[in-house]
Amino acid sequence: MTKLVYETVDAEAPAGPPDRAPLRQRSPLVLVLTVIGKLLVWGLLAGLVVAIIYPLLWMVLSGFKTNQEVFGDPFGLPGALRWENYQTAWDQGVFKYFGNSVIVTVVSVLTTTLVSAWAAYGLTRLDLPLNQGVLLVILGGLMLAPTVALVPLFRLLQSLELFNTYWALIILYTAFRVPFTTFLIRAYMIDLPMELDEAAKMDGASTQQIFWRIILPLCRPILVSAALLQALFAWNEFVFALSFISDDARKTLPVGLLAMQSRLTTDWPVVFAALSIAAAPMIILFLVGQRQFLRGLTEGVGK
Amino acid sequence: MRFNLGKLPATALVGVATLGLAACGGGDSTAPASAPDLSAPADKSGTLSMVTKFADPQYAPYFESVVAEYEEENPKVDIKLEQVGDQPYKDKIRVLATANDLPDIYFSWAGDFANKFIRAGLAADLTSVLGPDTELGKQLAPAATKAFEYEGKNYGLPINLDGKYLAYSGAAFEKAGISQPPATLEELFEDCDKLKAAGYTPIAFGNQFGWPALHYVTQLNAYNVPADTLDKDYNPATGEFTDPGYVKALEQLKALLDRCANPDANGLAHEAAQANFIGGKAAMQYIESLEFQVLTADGGAPPTIAEDWSFFRLPPASDAAGDTQALTGAPDGFLVNAKTEQGGLAADFLAFLASKQNAQQMVQDLGWLSPVEGSTKVEGVYPQLTQTLQDMSKASEFAIWLDTVTHADVASAYLAGVEGLVGGDNTPEDVMASVQEAAAKAQEQTN
Amino acid sequence: MTSALQRWRAWLWVMPGLALLLVFVYYPVVENIRLSFYSWDAFSPNPIFVGLDNYDTAIGDPVFWTALGNNIAFAVVSLVFQVGLALVLATLLEEVVHQRLRGWLRTIYFIPAAMSITVAGILFSFMYNPQIGLLNRFLGLVGLDSWKHAWLGEENTAIWSIIAMSQWQSIGYTAVLFVVAIQRIPRDYYEAARLDGAGPIRTFLMITVPLVREMTTLLVILTISGAFLVFNEVMVMTAGGPDNSSQVLGTWLYRNAFFQDDMGYAAAIATVIFVITFTIAALQLAISRRRRVEV
Repeated sequence: MTKLVYETVDAEAPAGPPDRAPLRQRSPLVLVLTVIGKLLVWGLLAGLVVAIIYPLLWMVLSGFKTNQEVFGDPFGLPGALRWENYQTAWDQGVFKYFGNSVIVTVVSVLTTTLVSAWAAYGLTRLDLPLNQGVLLVILGGLMLAPTVALVPLFRLLQSLELFNTYWALIILYTAFRVPFTTFLIRAYMIDLPMELDEAAKMDGASTQQIFWRIILPLCRPILVSAALLQALFAWNEFVFALSFISDDARKTLPVGLLAMQSRLTTDWPVVFAALSIAAAPMIILFLVGQRQFLRGLTEGVGK
Repeated sequence: MRFNLGKLPATALVGVATLGLAACGGGDSTAPASAPDLSAPADKSGTLSMVTKFADPQYAPYFESVVAEYEEENPKVDIKLEQVGDQPYKDKIRVLATANDLPDIYFSWAGDFANKFIRAGLAADLTSVLGPDTELGKQLAPAATKAFEYEGKNYGLPINLDGKYLAYSGAAFEKAGISQPPATLEELFEDCDKLKAAGYTPIAFGNQFGWPALHYVTQLNAYNVPADTLDKDYNPATGEFTDPGYVKALEQLKALLDRCANPDANGLAHEAAQANFIGGKAAMQYIESLEFQVLTADGGAPPTIAEDWSFFRLPPASDAAGDTQALTGAPDGFLVNAKTEQGGLAADFLAFLASKQNAQQMVQDLGWLSPVEGSTKVEGVYPQLTQTLQDMSKASEFAIWLDTVTHADVASAYLAGVEGLVGGDNTPEDVMASVQEAAAKAQEQTN
Repeated sequence: MTSALQRWRAWLWVMPGLALLLVFVYYPVVENIRLSFYSWDAFSPNPIFVGLDNYDTAIGDPVFWTALGNNIAFAVVSLVFQVGLALVLATLLEEVVHQRLRGWLRTIYFIPAAMSITVAGILFSFMYNPQIGLLNRFLGLVGLDSWKHAWLGEENTAIWSIIAMSQWQSIGYTAVLFVVAIQRIPRDYYEAARLDGAGPIRTFLMITVPLVREMTTLLVILTISGAFLVFNEVMVMTAGGPDNSSQVLGTWLYRNAFFQDDMGYAAAIATVIFVITFTIAALQLAISRRRRVEV
C-alpha cells in the first residue's frame, strides 16, 4: 500500500471527470441552478488561485518599487526593475541569515536522515532486543511539542554551552524530527524483502555493509522525501531559532527577517525584497521535488 | 569507500552520551560576584565583548568606527561588537543575563531597567572610574551621570542626552494660522482643530509595540502626579499607583489622541507614522531629540520639512498638579559586567568613548546631544540641536521612560493597558486597575 | 562473543536516535513539569519551590484565559477551513477540474505551505497595514470603506486576522492530503452512484465523505493540536498585542519566560499546553490503533 500511494497521486487518472447528464433533459430551473453551481465552483477555485498568487506577486513586485510607489500605488507595477533593492536586502543581512539557514538546514538534514535511517534499520532488519519498547519511545516523541520543552531546554543548552551556537539548532532539529523521519523510513524499509539481507549475509557481508551497500540505496526514494521534508522544517523553524540564538551573526532566516523588519521599518521595498529571497529556495525546491514532497507527506500522515 | 562507516553510530553515541553527562554535571553553579579590577591595565591586550541596541543603519557605523579606532590605537585588543535593534534588545539582554553570558560592556536604559542589573549584581560599580570626583566624571553633565546612580554609587556611563518633544512643521503651523507653540494642553487642542481645518493630521501617531503611547504617559504622569508620589510609585518596593493624577494623565492622553492624532495607531509603526510627518501630511509628531536628525537634510528629509521645523515640549494642562518643568527623557548608557575579566580594559574603552573627540564625532555623525562637556561646539551642527540643549538645561529633572523606569510587570501592565486605551477598548480606570494589581505583585516580589 | 551480546550490538543502530530523544526531548518535557513548581528568573537563577503557585497565577491571570480562548478560536476556524473547506476543495479538484489543470491548481494551492510562517506573517502584516495595506485599499475600491480596520492594531480584529493568514497558508496543504485520500477510493463506487442517478452533492455526501473518514479524523486531530501550539504567526504579526488581545498560550509562555522574567510561570503554561496536546495525541494513537485492528 505505502509505495503505491505516491503513484496514485501523480498517475494520470483513468478517466476525466465523470460526464454529466445531457443538459437538455433538465428543466430550466435545474439548468439555472447548474449554471450558478458551476459559477460558484469555478469562482471558488479561481478565487483561491488569485488569493494565493496575488500576494506573492505583490511581494516580489513591491521589492522592485521605490518607497513612494509602495505607499502611493500599492496595486501598480514598479516603475523600473530596481534590482538594487534586492542587492540592499542581500547586503543588509539576508546574505548572513541565508548562510546560517543553509548551514543549519544542510547539517540537520544529514544528521536527521542518517540517525533515523540507522534507527529504522535496527528496528526493521536486525534482531533488536526490546524492539517494541524502542519503537514506542521513538514514536512517542511524535507526541511532544517543542514549545513545551522551551524553558528546560534553555537551561540545558546553557549548561552544555550550546546556547547561541549552530549546534543548538542542529541537535534540536534532529532530536525533534527523528521520530517522524524514523517512522517514515521504517515504513518503507519494513516492506523490503528480508531475502536481500540473507543473500548478502551468505556472501559474507557484515551488518554495516548490508546497510550501506544494499538497504540504504534501496531506500533512496523515501530518503529523498524525508530529506526534503526535513529541509522544509529546518529552513522554516522559528521557536528554537528565536529562543536559542541570541547573536545576530548566527540567526537563521525566519528570525533574521524579523530583526530586519524591525530595523528597516521605513524601507519597505527592501523588506519585500528580503521576503522574496527568503521564500524562493523552498518554493523552488517544492516545485522541483513535488512528487517526493507529496510522497513523504502522504506516507507520513496517511499510514 | 572501504573504510568502515559502520562505526559511525558508535562514535555519535559517545558524543551524545558525553552531552548527557555534561547535562547532569553542569547544573546550577553560579560564580559569586566579585568586583572586577577596573584600574587601567599596564598592557592593553585581550578581547572585549560589547552589545549595543544601535543596529539601525544610521547609528551603527559610529560605534563601529569608535571600536575600529580603539583597536587601531591598541593593536593587541580585539573588541567583539554586536549591535541589535531597539525592540529585540530588551529580550536579548535578559536572555544573555539568564545564560550567564553577559558581554563585558552592555547597553542600558536608565531607570529600573539598569537597576535590575545592579540589584542582581550584574553591573560593576564604576564610581572609581566616572564618579563625580574622577577626571572623567568631571567632564560629564551631573544630571546624566545621576540617571545611572543607585544607592549613591555610579554604575553607568551616560552616552547621550535625550528628551521627548513635539516636533512640528513650520509650514503647517503657518498655513493653519498658528503663530506660536501652545503653552497649555488646552491651547494645543485648539491648534489641532486649526490644523485639521487646514487639511493636516495634527499629530502623526504610530503605536505598534505600545511604547510610543507610554512616552506620552510618562510626561503626563510627571505633570499630573506630585513628584514625591511619582518617586514612591516608580520604585518597585513601594509602588501603589493610587494617585488620581494617573487617571487624569490617561484621560488627557485619550482626549489628545481623539482630538489630534490619526486613527488606527496600534496598527502603525512609529516610523511609518513618522513618514507621514516628514512627507508633509501630518503637522507634528512626538519624538525624541535623538531622532531629530531625520528631520534634517543630512538625515534625508525633504527641504519642505528640513528647512522649517522646530519643537516644543508637550504642554501641561493648566491645572496640572505635578512638576510642569519635568521633561520626559533620559540618557542612554553603558554598564560593565560585574563578572568581567577585562575590567580595566572595559573602563579604558568607556573613557575612550567619552573622550571629547569621540563625543564631538557622535554629535556630528548622529546629531545626538552628548553629556560630555564642550562636545556640542562643533561645526555643522543644526541650530535646533543647540536649542535642545538650552531647553534641557531648563528642565527641573528628567522623567525617565515609563517602560524602563518601573518594574517589568508594571511596565507590561501599562503597556498592554494603554494599548487598549488607544484602541478604545479600555477606560483610564481599567488601565490603572491592572497597573495597581501589577504593582502589588511587584512589591511582593521585591520585598 | 556470546550471541546475546551479538543481539545487543544491534542497539548501536538505534542508540544515537534514542539518546538524542531522551536527552533533548523527553528529559526537557519531564523537567518542565518539575520546574513548573518553582519560581526563578533571569536575575535570581536559583529556583525556589513554590508548589502550585504558578498554576494559581494562571487561573487568576486574565491573559492566560484570553490566550486559551484564542487557541480555541484558532482550532475552530482551522477545522472549518483546513478540514471542511479543504475536503470540498479536494473533491472539486478531483471531480470537476480537468486533470491537466488539476496538477497546476494542486501545485499553486500548495505553495504557501512551502513558505516559512515568518515570510507569510510579515507579508500579511503588510497587507493588513492601514496605510499601505492591500486589504483596506481593496475595500476602498469596492466601496466598503466602513469595513476598513487597522486589522492587527485593533483588539477585535487582531487574532482573527492572524487566524485568516494561517488558513491561507494551510488550506492547500490539507486539500492535497484529501486529494490523496479521494484517489484511494475505488472509481467503481462513483460509477455505481452515478448509475443510481445521484447528483454531485449526494455523491459527495454518500461516498466521498464517509470514505475519507480516516484522513478526516487524522486531520481533525492534527489541526486541533496544531492550533494549541501556534506561536510563530502571532509572534511575527502582533507579538500578542494590542493589550494582549492576540496572545496565545505559546506566546504568553515566551513572554513570561524571556521578557517578564517569570520562568516558573512559563513552565506552568508549558505544562498546560503539554497536557492538552498530549491528550489529543493519545486520542489519535488510540483511534489509529483501532483503525489498524479494523483493517
